[in-house]
Parts: sequence; structure tokens; C-alpha cells
Amino acid sequence: MSGRRDLVELIGPVLVLVIVGAIGSMGFVDPALEVEFRGALVSVAIVVALYVFVGNSGVISFGHVSFVAVGAFAAGVMTIPVELKPTITPGLFSLLGEHSVGNAASLVLAAVVGGVFALLVGVPLMRLSGLAAGIATFAVLGVTYNILNNWTKIGPGPLTLTTVPETTGLLQATVGATAVVTAAFAYQRSRYGRKLRASREDPAAASATGIHIHRERLWAFALSGALSGFAGGLFVHAAGTLQARDVYLDLTFLTLAMLVVGGVGSLWGAVVGALAVSALDSFLLRAESGEIGAVNDVLGKPLWGGSRLVGVAVFMAVILVLLPNGLTRGREFKVPRLRHAGQPDTAA
Amino acid sequence: MTEDVQVFVDAIALGSIYALMAVGIGLVFGVLRLVNFAYGQLIMAGAYALALTNDQPVLLSIALCFGVVLALSLAMEFAAFRPLRRASPTTMLVATFAISYLLQNIALVRFGAIGKIVVVIPKLSEPVTIGGVHIRWITIVTILVAIAVFAALTLLLTRTTIGLQMRAASIDSQTARLLGVRANAVITTAVLISGVIAAIVAVILPMAVPERLLVSPDYALRETIIVLVGVVVGGIDRLLTATLGGFTMGLAVGLLSGFLPSTGTWPFTSSVYLDGAVFMLVIIVLLLRPEGLFVRGRRAAVERV
Amino acid sequence: MLELSGLEVRYGTVPAVRGLDLSVGRGEIVGLIGPNGAGKSTTLHAIMGAVRPSAGDIRLSGSSIRGRPPEQVVRAGIALVPEGRRIFSELTVEENLRLGLSGRRSKVGAAEAVERVCELFPVVRESRRRQAGLLSGGQQQQLAIGRALVAEPDVLLLDEPSLGLAPTVVNAVFEALEAIRTRGVTILLVEQRAQRTVAVADRTYVISNGELRMTLGPEDAGDTSRMVEAYFGGS
Repeated sequence: MSGRRDLVELIGPVLVLVIVGAIGSMGFVDPALEVEFRGALVSVAIVVALYVFVGNSGVISFGHVSFVAVGAFAAGVMTIPVELKPTITPGLFSLLGEHSVGNAASLVLAAVVGGVFALLVGVPLMRLSGLAAGIATFAVLGVTYNILNNWTKIGPGPLTLTTVPETTGLLQATVGATAVVTAAFAYQRSRYGRKLRASREDPAAASATGIHIHRERLWAFALSGALSGFAGGLFVHAAGTLQARDVYLDLTFLTLAMLVVGGVGSLWGAVVGALAVSALDSFLLRAESGEIGAVNDVLGKPLWGGSRLVGVAVFMAVILVLLPNGLTRGREFKVPRLRHAGQPDTAA
Repeated sequence: MTEDVQVFVDAIALGSIYALMAVGIGLVFGVLRLVNFAYGQLIMAGAYALALTNDQPVLLSIALCFGVVLALSLAMEFAAFRPLRRASPTTMLVATFAISYLLQNIALVRFGAIGKIVVVIPKLSEPVTIGGVHIRWITIVTILVAIAVFAALTLLLTRTTIGLQMRAASIDSQTARLLGVRANAVITTAVLISGVIAAIVAVILPMAVPERLLVSPDYALRETIIVLVGVVVGGIDRLLTATLGGFTMGLAVGLLSGFLPSTGTWPFTSSVYLDGAVFMLVIIVLLLRPEGLFVRGRRAAVERV
Repeated sequence: MLELSGLEVRYGTVPAVRGLDLSVGRGEIVGLIGPNGAGKSTTLHAIMGAVRPSAGDIRLSGSSIRGRPPEQVVRAGIALVPEGRRIFSELTVEENLRLGLSGRRSKVGAAEAVERVCELFPVVRESRRRQAGLLSGGQQQQLAIGRALVAEPDVLLLDEPSLGLAPTVVNAVFEALEAIRTRGVTILLVEQRAQRTVAVADRTYVISNGELRMTLGPEDAGDTSRMVEAYFGGS
């Protein structure tokens, strides 16, 4: 069972996150860069939340950003000042329109909303596998986007949600990402996580040993939804504004790219992927605005505007072809050291 | 009454376009087991080719459209489909998703986000009155073209050797190869036919659907998503069921957009919720029949847990 | 005509076939028997190019065909009747046959080849337009063999043709093998029915655990002790 050695798999990623957070908050880093560090940490939260389901169950979910979306809107709508609500979100249900909550409460709310939504969606959907599951979850994304973009009783509808308190500084981002990573680790080490992984390898065998696949997937889905919602709360408090489009296809693509690039099967993969793609994204952003001297020299000018996503897509495609299991090959964080004879190798 | 007929006929035309796209996607899936998320980008490329040659003679414009789409199809096959042939279905899905994004953003960089008008054959947008009902010429043309394509394809698949080989490869590609069927020839043929269909859609779509008059980087993305969903709902394993699935989605979208009122405070009660309503229907169908709406018997690309 | 030397095939790290030497002369019927999982099917698949050997060589009429993809192996003159027949159930009998024509070395003579197969297996002609999935097991087996024969191969590989068939049907299959040999086709027959194979073949190889154990001739057909020793003896 889990021992001290396995904790390395948690401590490694957490340490990396803390280092990232620390670097970002150091004085010499300019404020614009700080935004990107925050963004990278929030991305880690979103991607790890997705990993909790996809990595453990082996079932692809194209619609996970729906949970990020409902979490983000829940946290956002409930933290804007009550006086401003009639302007920014006219038409809200009175229960929502007349109350506001604080930062921490909004994050909890986001997690609850995400988790409950995932549970509701999961009950029918977890029966499906493979292609049908992918398409069904995509349809959920479509429905969620459509409703969030139009239904003014629960949110701003087509308008932009603004004046959301920007409480996700580097501290909240680091702590939040660490919390999600810890929850993911705890889950995959638990009985439930192990059962689900067994079903990923061989559904028939797992079923035969009494593992109730539908139920295990549902719990993972719900947990993943709650973590996604929480990450959505972090997201909206980092951005300060929110539109339905911000949590739709672009984010879905980016999140999937990060997970796949890092390696779908491991927690470390999710963290690495999120940080690597965020770093690439930042680099390309700077290359576009002419800040990277080397790029200017090679191209004769800054990188073409809009090529960020092209760069990310190309990177993702290349990784997929060369390293189908991602940068981490689906393995967990390990401190490289000599193995003593007779000691078993701890694999995820 | 006549308005209802109009809505119905328009819905059939839309269904025909979606059915064509479904065939394009289904053909490639059959021989490669690969779902091409980037199919819409082929149509986008064709539409851009048309838009940029607005001032040229129509036939030249259309020829260029076909050329661009076919070239891009082959490029996709060599650069992406071949290397990914051994990958897992998930990887392939995500990879074509990435390609779709790549192409969208290349178009964004090259052409900008503002749409360009595509003018092909303006005459076809004019209406003709049949029995008191106003139908645009393009609606009739669309349905006829779709029927012609399906007829031609059926002939190809049932009467020719390459068609037989494609059918066999869709059923059991391993055994087909062991009999001497050349995998590359079959795949390239499927990709080319799929490309031709995409080019046809690129020519028809700007005229048939008013919102699609302008081509932008995300052209045909919405349609691709809905068709993909429809193909899976119909039953992706067989070309016939996949096509019926696509057609049904188009029909549903057409009917819903025609009959939903334009305002309503609750979700699904007005036309802004069209997409949501369609997706909800999809979810319901997938739950009731995950193996496919039109599939008879057990055969499925999808397992139930 | 067909020669395997030192053939080695692995699935991942597990060796399925090790150091196999085997030869089939022109016009011969050669048998390959052994317990389940011995590597018989794997050997055939390696010859056809469906799996890559990790070592050793496969030679047809002196030239190496190792590593060539199935499409090329068929056109070099070897055809396979796969285990479980693997006919295309939704296609008609005629369409199944036409698929077999894909591997022909020359378009000329296709119609005659189909005719000859219909003579050998009349049921194929009778049920030409029927869906292949509706045929009985024995009929499907005949179709599968016929489908391989229309390519007019020099060598015919059969993977457990008698699997799941009733005894009378099995007889028909083994008789057909003789008829096929008289048409000048060389045969490598993988089978579970050890004794019948040993009796009909000019030479039968026994493999177990991926390795060649012994070679039997038709005179050993009645000697069960030798076969038991071959199947289970050694390590």
C-alpha cells in the first residue's frame, strides 16, 4: 500500500508549483509576467481536475470545461457587488441578485456547483464509453455554453461579467493548484481510485471481481467536476471578467492539449503539461509583441499575430506523433536514484 | 400552411448538406477508424478559395475550390492520418481536434477574423414559386446534388472493384490486406472522395444557408460538430446509418430553427437555444441507444458498461 | 519452394516462435501441428507479413520475402486461408470471391480462375448471390479456401481449416486439399487434428512452445506415443 516513498509523487509536483509561485512573486518580475505565472497555476488546477477523471477512467471527456464554466460563473456572479448586479446581470433570479458572498465562500460554492452538475450529468452518461462518451460529453458542453450565453436569470447571458474581485493572486493560485493536486493524489491512492484504474486496464476483469464500473466512474466524474468548478472559481477571480466564450472551445482545446502533451495517465503528466504549454504560450505571446530578441533576429520582425494557438497546436501535434504517451510517458514524479537490489519499483 | 412547407423543404435541404458531410466523414472513418474533426476546415478552405476569386469566372472559381480542398485533403492524409494510423482512438480524436485548431488559426493569421463574402452563382438565391410555396432555386439544387452524389457513391461502392475493396476494408481491414487489397490505395481513394464532397459542400453552403454567406476562420465548425454528433448518434459503423444520422441532425436543426419562437425566457423555449436543444436531443438519443439510432442488431463501435 | 530459417517472432518481449526451420517443397503438402499457443498461427502470419519477425529469414523460391507487407506477399504468390475463415459476412459470396482477385499477379485469367474454384466447390456457384454470413460453417470454409485460390497462388497457407466443422465436412476439406495439390499448388497446413494431418501430408512438423520438436511422416500416423511425446515432452 502507500508508503513514504509514494508521497514523493505528491511532494514533487507540489514543490514545483510552490517554486513557480515563488518565482512569480519575486520583486524583479514585471507585473505582466506575474499574470502569466498566475495563469499557469490556474491552468494546472484545471488540467489536474480533468485528469482526475480522464486519467483514472480512461474515458475521454470533451465537456469538462462545462464544470469549469458553471464554477466560474457561480463564483463570479455571487461575488460582484450587489449594487452593481442590476447593471451587469439584469434579470437574475432574486435569490442570486440580492446576495453576495466572499472570496473563500465563492470558491466553495464553485466546487459544489461543479460537483453537483457533474453528478447529475454523470448518472446517465457514465454508462457510455469510447466514442459515444466523448460525443455525449461534448454535447453537454454545447448545452452548457448555449444556456450560459443566453439565460439571463442565472448570469449575464450574452453580456460580459465584470467587476469580479481579483482575489486570485499568486498565493491563492499556488494554494489552489496545490489543493487540487493533493485531492487528485489522495483520490488515485485511495480504494476508489485504484478500482477505477483497474477498470481502465480491463473492464471485463474488473467487473468480474465485483468492481462496479458505473459507480466508480460516477464518483470520479463528480470529484473531477467539483475540482473543475473550484478551478473555475480560481479562474474567474484571476481574470476579473468572464464571458461564456472564455470557457468554451478554446479552453477545451487548450486543456486537452496540456493534458495530452504532459501525458494522460499520470498526475505529474497533467502538471508538466499545463506548465509546459503555459510556458510556450507565454513565450509566443512575447514573441508576438516583439520582446524576444532571438525571434526578431530570425524572422526579421515579431512573430505574426495570432500564431500563438498555431504554435500550441503544432507543438501538440508534434508531441502526439513523437511521444504518444506525452512528455512524462504517463509516469509519475520520481526522484532519480539508485535502486537497491530486491526493492520493487513503485509504478503508478 | 405554405410557410410550414417552406420550413420543411428548407430543413430537408439542410439535412441533405449535413448528410453529405456525414458521408465525407463516414468514408474516412470506415477505412481508417479515424474521426476527422478537421473536416470543416476543408470546407473552410474551399470557401476561402471561392471568396478570394469572387471576381473570376464562376467555373474557374469552382475549379480552384476543388483544387484547394483536394490538395488539403491529401496533405492531411500524408502529414497526419498516416503517422497516426496505429494510435489509440483517443489520440486520433485529439489529434484531429488539434489539426482543426491549427488550420483555423492559420486562417485567422492569414485572413483575419472578419468574414469575406462568398459569391458563387447569385441566380440560385432567387426564389421560384411552386404551388404557392416560395422556394429558392438553391434549395432544390442542394437536394438534387445530394441525391446525385449518393447515387454515384452507391454505384461506386457496389459496382467497382475499388468500391468493393473500400467496403471490405471498412469491415475488416486486416483480412482485406491479407487478400492483397492495397491499403494505401483504398485510403487515398476514400480521402479523395471525402475531399470532393467537402468541395461540393463548400460551393453549396454559402448559397444555401444565409448565415454562411461570409467565410471566416471558424467556417463550418458548428456544422462539423453537429454532423459529428449526428454521425455517432446515427451509428458510425456503417456509412448508411452515419449518413442517416447526419441527415436527421440537419432536419432537426432546420425544423427547430423554423418552428421555435424567437423569444422566450426559459432555456429551450426560443430560437437562441437552438444549439442547446439539438444537443439535448443528442444526449437523450445516446442514452437510449448508445450503439446508434439506426443500427439494427448488436454491431457497434461503442460499448455499454 | 518456401523456406523458413531461424524464424523468431516476438509479441512484445514474449517469444511466440523461436529458431524455427521449416521447408516446403514444390507440390508438397506439409503439415504444421502442435498444442494451442505453440506458435503455428504466428508462423503463418509472419510468412504473410502480418507480423514482423525479430530474427530469421523467410524465402520464397530462393528470394527473401521477410518484412514485406501482406499486399506484396500475396502478389509474390502466397495466399492465406485465415483461422476462423474471416469471410465478410455482409458481402455476398460472389463479392467475397472478387475480393480474392485483388491479390492476383495478372488480371488475365481471372474469370477462368473463378470458374475453376466453382468446379472445386460447387456450393460457391450455387449460392453466388447469397450473403456470405448465411452459409453454413463448412460452406464458409470452402468459400474461404476458394477466395484464396482465385488469386492463383503458388503456395496456399491454411490456418486450422477444420476448426468447428462437423466430421463429414472435415472429410470434404481434406479431400479438397488433394485436389488443390493436383492443380499444382503447394500447401502448408496448420491443424489441430494431428492424426489426419500426419496421414495426408508428405511431411508434418510438430512445434510446441514456439520451437520445432520433431518431424513426422505419413507412416507415423498411427503412432500416438510419438505425437504425445512431441506435444508434451521436453521443455
